[in-house]
Amino acid sequence: MNIIEVTNLSHRFSDGTIGIEGITLSIQEGEFVVIAGRNGSGKTTFLRHLNGLLLPDTGAVRLGGVSVSRDIPRARQMVGMVFQDADSQIVGETVFDDVAFGPENLCLNECEVKRRVIKSLEVVDLIDIADQRPHLLSGGEKRRLAVAGILAMEPRILVFDEPFSDLDYPGVRQLLHQTLLLHKAGHTILIATHDLEKVIAHADRLLIISDGKVVMDNAPEMIIKDVEAFGVREPCASRLGMEIESWLN
Amino acid sequence: MAELTAFHFRPGTSLLHTLDVRFKILSFVLISISSFKAYPSALSVLTLVIFYAILISCLPFKSILKELRYFFVLLVFIFIVRAMFTSASPVVDFKESAVAWQGIYDGALICWRLLIVVLFGLIFVSTTRPSDIRTAVEWFLMPFPFIPGKRVATMMSLIMRFVPLILDQARETIDAQRSRGVENRKNPVYRLIKLIIPLMIRTFKKADKLAVAMEARCYSEKRTNKALLSAKSDWITLFGVICLSILLSIIDT
Amino acid sequence: MNTNHSIQLRKTAYASLFAALTAAGAYLSIPIGPVPIVLQNLFIFLAGLLLGSRMGLASVGVYLLAGACGFPVFAGGTGGIGRLLGPTGGYLFGYLPAVYIIGLITEKTGRHAAFDVIAMCCGSVVIYACGLSWLKLLTGMTLAKTLIVGMYPFILGDALKIAAAIPIAKALRPIMRIKD
Ligand SMILES: Nc1ncnc2c1ncn2[C@@H]1O[C@H](COP(=O)(O)OP(=O)(O)O)[C@@H](O)[C@H]1O
Ligand SMILES: [Mg+2]
Repeated sequence: MNIIEVTNLSHRFSDGTIGIEGITLSIQEGEFVVIAGRNGSGKTTFLRHLNGLLLPDTGAVRLGGVSVSRDIPRARQMVGMVFQDADSQIVGETVFDDVAFGPENLCLNECEVKRRVIKSLEVVDLIDIADQRPHLLSGGEKRRLAVAGILAMEPRILVFDEPFSDLDYPGVRQLLHQTLLLHKAGHTILIATHDLEKVIAHADRLLIISDGKVVMDNAPEMIIKDVEAFGVREPCASRLGMEIESWLN
Repeated sequence: MAELTAFHFRPGTSLLHTLDVRFKILSFVLISISSFKAYPSALSVLTLVIFYAILISCLPFKSILKELRYFFVLLVFIFIVRAMFTSASPVVDFKESAVAWQGIYDGALICWRLLIVVLFGLIFVSTTRPSDIRTAVEWFLMPFPFIPGKRVATMMSLIMRFVPLILDQARETIDAQRSRGVENRKNPVYRLIKLIIPLMIRTFKKADKLAVAMEARCYSEKRTNKALLSAKSDWITLFGVICLSILLSIIDT
Repeated sequence: MNTNHSIQLRKTAYASLFAALTAAGAYLSIPIGPVPIVLQNLFIFLAGLLLGSRMGLASVGVYLLAGACGFPVFAGGTGGIGRLLGPTGGYLFGYLPAVYIIGLITEKTGRHAAFDVIAMCCGSVVIYACGLSWLKLLTGMTLAKTLIVGMYPFILGDALKIAAAIPIAKALRPIMRIKD
């Protein structure tokens, strides 16, 4: 079943810049999709249409058959989004409060909020520092806190915008590991990046965006040799003609 | 700059940690009011109360005192100013020792009061979850229909989120400019401008991103209402504090 | 992104940001001359100039309320109602009318630099009026001494801050324009 259906999606900013143009695609429930493209190609603009942070000029995005602009709260609950700058995504004064922010916005009762917070913190392995103040966390922990914050809303689709920028090696591995667990648990995963190296081994599908248009859309091994034309570096192993290995091994 | 201040919540299970936050705020306000005009006899009683509160709250007091060192500098400064300026005769005139003693007495009194008020504040903040304080603020604002309590509460948590961000950002900007020799510029207005503009531009961008992230997490002012429950021990504590305040105002007269 | 709801949210974030800047301003200083220039009231000026009267008032109001509830937003990393009632509390309360007046003047005069200077001077007068009268009332000092302790050392710094606030406001106004 297609969980995301995008038809002829275009967005032009108020200053005239074209963000994205004529994107049509569909994504199945449980897919692991990597969206790549050079800086300014329109990845972030595209992702922001999935939960109604931006609304389309033409075209539409449908989640499970319902148009995003028809029911924005539903879209925001269904699509959890982790932003590039994890630090400015954290709202609460403690780890616990921050994760509780989303469920509280959904007006869930207090017990349910607590249950969800604890569950999410367990998934990202932050439960032991639930009372810590967020600005004392490391970069990797902040990113995981951001993930916990959206997991607590129980989304079906997880969207990561440049999740690996400014993470160290253990940080990347841990985030990757947890992302894969979430994928296994049935979440649909979308990752936008300009650096394929770290994730491509796990992706089912690779989308290349250039100048606001989807220029390639296929299984990674089919198109990985051709991505450099669009400002995305081909992973080392692939250049050397070897099989791409996961960063977890 | 991360461990900026001693004033933050420290988890625990003591009586002070479990009291209803509304009663704690009321007690805190009452005690602050009675200490700010108190004289040595009443201040001694309050000091004893503080020692008692510290004992039952199980806070790591030694490390807290260390974190309060900037506050002690402030106290010394206030003491010196007061000691020098209270006397009726001009600034420093130690020949009239009686007058000088009066100044020192006044200075000490003011510092003692301030110290007590700040220590009570410290105990309050250290034993109370910030989210509970916000819930209580919402509760106290309920009688004022024109003040949006939920928004005020959200703003409070945003303030506490932003302060460390701003200080980190400021330190980075200052260091970056130092390494490019800003200290050679003697014009203070120039330096103020060169510090504040980049600092504010960067923090505004952060605020923008935060607003978008809050939207993505369905921010609304219709949120979960937190229940506040008062127990018998809360009423007993409040009653005790009221008696204490009355007692304090009697001792001093 | 231009729905009412997001504009409201952005305003809330900006007002909180200014309150946080005011709180951080108590820690930030530029060492010039004998008295380091503390940036706290610079941010009060800027809140008036950039947020306007209503939002500025909300920002400072929540700042004071947060302080009164014990959050460490006052000088020296302290908080609590005791600080508001203490000797320097008058200045803190003075921020409230000051930011409103600055915002009002700058709104009514179309954000013109000369009027902005006048607005900030008025704001400073209000802050000192509140601060000094409370200080005098509480300590029983003579007026002359109150002025020596509570105003003269800071006048020069205030003048510098007013001079700096003008170009800062000019640079930032286009960035934080909230379309409504
Ligand atoms: N708020 C905005 N106003 C105007 N132009 C924008 C805005 N946001 C992004 N753009 C432009 O839209 C294009 C796509 O940007 P973006 O989606 O952020 O790219 P990516 O995330 O792939 O780096 C860029 O040319 C960018 O300059
Ligand atoms: Mg981007």
